[in-house]
Amino acid sequence: MIQLQQVSKRFDGKRVVTALDAVDLSIAKGEMVSLVGASGSGKSTMLNLIGGLDTPSSGQITIDGERLSGLADDDLTRVRRDKIGFIFQFFNLLPTLTCIENVALPLHLRGWTRKKAEARSRELLDLVKLGHRMDHQPDELSGGERQRVAIARALSINPPILLGDEPTGNLDSGTGAEILNLIHDVHRTMGSTILIVTHDRGVAESCQRTVRLKDGRIIGDERRSSAA
Amino acid sequence: MTLLRLISFQYVRKHKLRWLLTLAGIVLGVAVFVGMHTANQSVLRAFHQTIDRIAGATQLQVSAGEAGFPEEALEIVQNSPDVRIAVPVIEASVNPGRGNLLLLGVDMTGDRSLRDYDLENNNDDAIDDPLVFLAQPDSLLVTRIFANAYGLKIGDKLPMSTMAGPRDFVVRGIMQSGGLASAFGGNLAVMDIYAAQKMLGRGRRFDRIDIAVREGVRVEQAQERLRKLLGGGYLVESPGARGQQFESTAQIYSLVSSITSMFALFVGMFLIYNTFEIAVSQRRSEIGILRALGATRRQIRTLFLGESVVAGLVGSLLGIGFGLLLARGIAAYVGAMLSEVYGVAQNVEDVAAEPWLLAAAITVGTLTSVLAALIPARDASRVDPVKALQKGKLQLIGQGENMRRRIGAIALFALAVGCMSMSHIRPLFYLGYLLAVMSAVLFAPTACNWVTRTLRPFLKWLRPVEGALAADSLIESPRRTSGTVTALMLSLALVIALGGIARSSYKSIQDWLVIALNPDLFVTTNETLTSRSFVFPPEIGEGIATIAGVDLVQMVRTVRINVRNTPVMLVCTDIASVARKAHLPPREGNPDTLYNEVAQGKGVIVSDNFALLRKFKLGDVLELPAPDGTLRMPILGIVTDYSDQQGSILMDRKVYIEHWKDTAVNVFRVYLDKPSFEPAVRARIQEMYGGRTRLFVFTNQDLRAYILKLTDQWFGLTYVQIAVAVLVAILGIVNTLTVSISDRKRELGVLQAVGGLRSQIRGTIWMEALAIGFTGLVLGFVVGAIQLYYTLEISRTDVAGLRLDYQYPVNIALVLVPVILGAAWISALGPAESAVRGSLVEALEYE
Repeated sequence: MIQLQQVSKRFDGKRVVTALDAVDLSIAKGEMVSLVGASGSGKSTMLNLIGGLDTPSSGQITIDGERLSGLADDDLTRVRRDKIGFIFQFFNLLPTLTCIENVALPLHLRGWTRKKAEARSRELLDLVKLGHRMDHQPDELSGGERQRVAIARALSINPPILLGDEPTGNLDSGTGAEILNLIHDVHRTMGSTILIVTHDRGVAESCQRTVRLKDGRIIGDERRSSAA
Repeated sequence: MTLLRLISFQYVRKHKLRWLLTLAGIVLGVAVFVGMHTANQSVLRAFHQTIDRIAGATQLQVSAGEAGFPEEALEIVQNSPDVRIAVPVIEASVNPGRGNLLLLGVDMTGDRSLRDYDLENNNDDAIDDPLVFLAQPDSLLVTRIFANAYGLKIGDKLPMSTMAGPRDFVVRGIMQSGGLASAFGGNLAVMDIYAAQKMLGRGRRFDRIDIAVREGVRVEQAQERLRKLLGGGYLVESPGARGQQFESTAQIYSLVSSITSMFALFVGMFLIYNTFEIAVSQRRSEIGILRALGATRRQIRTLFLGESVVAGLVGSLLGIGFGLLLARGIAAYVGAMLSEVYGVAQNVEDVAAEPWLLAAAITVGTLTSVLAALIPARDASRVDPVKALQKGKLQLIGQGENMRRRIGAIALFALAVGCMSMSHIRPLFYLGYLLAVMSAVLFAPTACNWVTRTLRPFLKWLRPVEGALAADSLIESPRRTSGTVTALMLSLALVIALGGIARSSYKSIQDWLVIALNPDLFVTTNETLTSRSFVFPPEIGEGIATIAGVDLVQMVRTVRINVRNTPVMLVCTDIASVARKAHLPPREGNPDTLYNEVAQGKGVIVSDNFALLRKFKLGDVLELPAPDGTLRMPILGIVTDYSDQQGSILMDRKVYIEHWKDTAVNVFRVYLDKPSFEPAVRARIQEMYGGRTRLFVFTNQDLRAYILKLTDQWFGLTYVQIAVAVLVAILGIVNTLTVSISDRKRELGVLQAVGGLRSQIRGTIWMEALAIGFTGLVLGFVVGAIQLYYTLEISRTDVAGLRLDYQYPVNIALVLVPVILGAAWISALGPAESAVRGSLVEALEYE
């Protein structure tokens, strides 16, 4: 589902910083993988590259059979729109929109009709147990609830891949556990391929596979038979 | 100073575009201020220079209004023991083909004692013997500038149209540049006075007598004695006094330009206010850090005020530069307009600002900037260091502040209404106007919020994501938006007011044209109907009356005379025939007896604007300066008449001839038996007189079109205002959007991350700009309705004396909608591109 071949990312400034250095990685369909490493190890860079938010300096990335290199900005956006759902540490909900409007956002961007988008959003908010908060705005919700809305938004387009950037990093441990359970539920019921960047050992160990990064290189790739 | 260098300079360096836009606010205001005032000053200076250069050694001038006076007056003056030299002069502006030429008719026998002609190549032979010059009535002295422009050398012929038919004039001398030859921008020609009388059809009349007094006689003493000698109908003044008349003529334009430039500065102030509010909002974390490090509130306030002083100074200097460029265009426009409407001769050759104006521009520009920065600087000093890092809070206007603004707006509006009810006390009227504007300004953020909230469902319906986000961006950030919307509102309000006046004037003038100007043909001496340099003898009118198909010929003499130090138009014609043909109902006066009494010379009729502006009422006695003494005539009626901006007095032609001893005619108004006779009569007039005299025949339709064109020129300012409004819209919206994009960096990043295409991101920015434009339009249209009321009142009572109906300029409003929305969209193009080109990763990390 996700293929990285010799992917490097360099940032050119006063001195060149190599964030990722000729990385090879393959993630199969339906896998749930955690990406760990110290700050500056390159894990967020890798997530951004896989998500098509950034482009590699060299190497090849393939998502669900589609090569990202050489794609125009709008084509890259279409890949994101059709294949990838994002869950951010700071939720990144639009503060002026209600929960249902936030969830419907990617659907409207794809050109869904108002009625269809609203029906789908209701279904998803029910799924994340926020059916009673549909018309609330983000600042009226707790952190956990906000992340649920963000997950509902990520799922709205039914993406084959879910990318999480520290999805529990901004939550207390109890709420973090709830969110992690929700992500596992999604993985189980929808069979999505999930890649989570995390500092949290518990989150990392709950995944089937953990990839460890250091100084832009993969230094470990651990698979578990019975995760969470 | 250190803070200014360390903090402000860095910020400015980082936000160059925004600071350029802020400067643009000041530059715009100062440029209009400097441009309009420099143009006015330059036109006045050009007029004074022309007078001075032509005057030469003249110490006193005798005149009797535009109609001139009979030659006998010259003898009286020459015989005065106080007078050393007295020479007659005729001065007229003519057009030999390539622009205006100031024609000076002089008597060479005495004139060289007053004026130095300084001919090239010592060719003074041409006028050394005045008798030779006189013996050749086709002689012409021209300036080097004029000779070069027309490619003339001595002995060459210059064809000109005269009242005695087309004539060739021979260049007998070329005056060297400088002195007299530089008057009227060098477009000057001198001819013998008797040749000038013939050329212009003036009969045996002079325009003025230039005088040098005897040695040992004080000028004031000579002036006083000559006044007594000549009587009240003559003006005996120093040459410089003529400038005052021009200044009075240019007064209306000066008032309009002052209002426009002050308005431009006021609008500029809101642009600056907006930028500073945004800067405070964006730099709150920096302010928080400074406060945490020990900066006092006062230091923070001083920091922002210091920035405003620097911005004000730089903006003012740039504004002066642009203003001087602008002045060239405006001076040409004002000069052309005054020449066209008033026939006042001047030629702007040197457009330069006076030092006091430049100092005033810098002071006004800097003060405007500081005033605009006062509230943002206060807000900055009140930033709580703890809250400083909380994003977005400063964009909101607190409930308390909102409430205070609303209460303030309502209170000011109530006071304005109170003042309106006492508008007969002029200071209270103007105070009410100011309060109404302030009330609108205070209420603008609330109104802006209401309009945007009303707009949101529509935008959301149009584009569910882009529309809703665009509206939300405006609703959530009143500080970012309200300054721009207020500036746009004020700017558009003025456009609506000017447009309203133009529309009402058009309608009133059109109605008046139908009733008052109903002859079928107009026979004049000039292609421009306002020029009065050439005049007809009455015999031509008598000849036209004999043409088959002509029912009636009205001979009209129009001359400008001074009443209460203001030049007003005296219109003299056969009043009995006017009563028969024009059916003009008086506003005041008895319609049954009025025309009959005026025809008998028992009084005069005055125009409504004359009565309103000069505070005359029915029955008042006017003192009119005639060559045979002051003529006292009661006002028997007041009518609507738009012939002249300063007002007009309608008198029977017989009375005029009796007192002015002038039978000349400016226009023959020809009524036909049937309108269908028009082409035949027109052709016959041309056939009878076309080759023999200078004559132009206009149909009623031509004349109406001409008058409406003149009206258009006066309201050309409306288009300048629309241009200013568009500039304001572009500057303000670019500023607001630049900041909006910076504030919404993460939001736009999220939008792209979840699948928003570049076109969709552009869409939301464009819609935000359109929403700002729309809100500005709505508020501008509402405030414009109030502004129109005040403008009509000011125009009626203090400027033009015109009673105009209140008519909202729907057509102008309809034009403004696409213009402003188009400008808004264009303003959004740059910011939208910068929004889609940024790094997504950075946007999502942005805090």
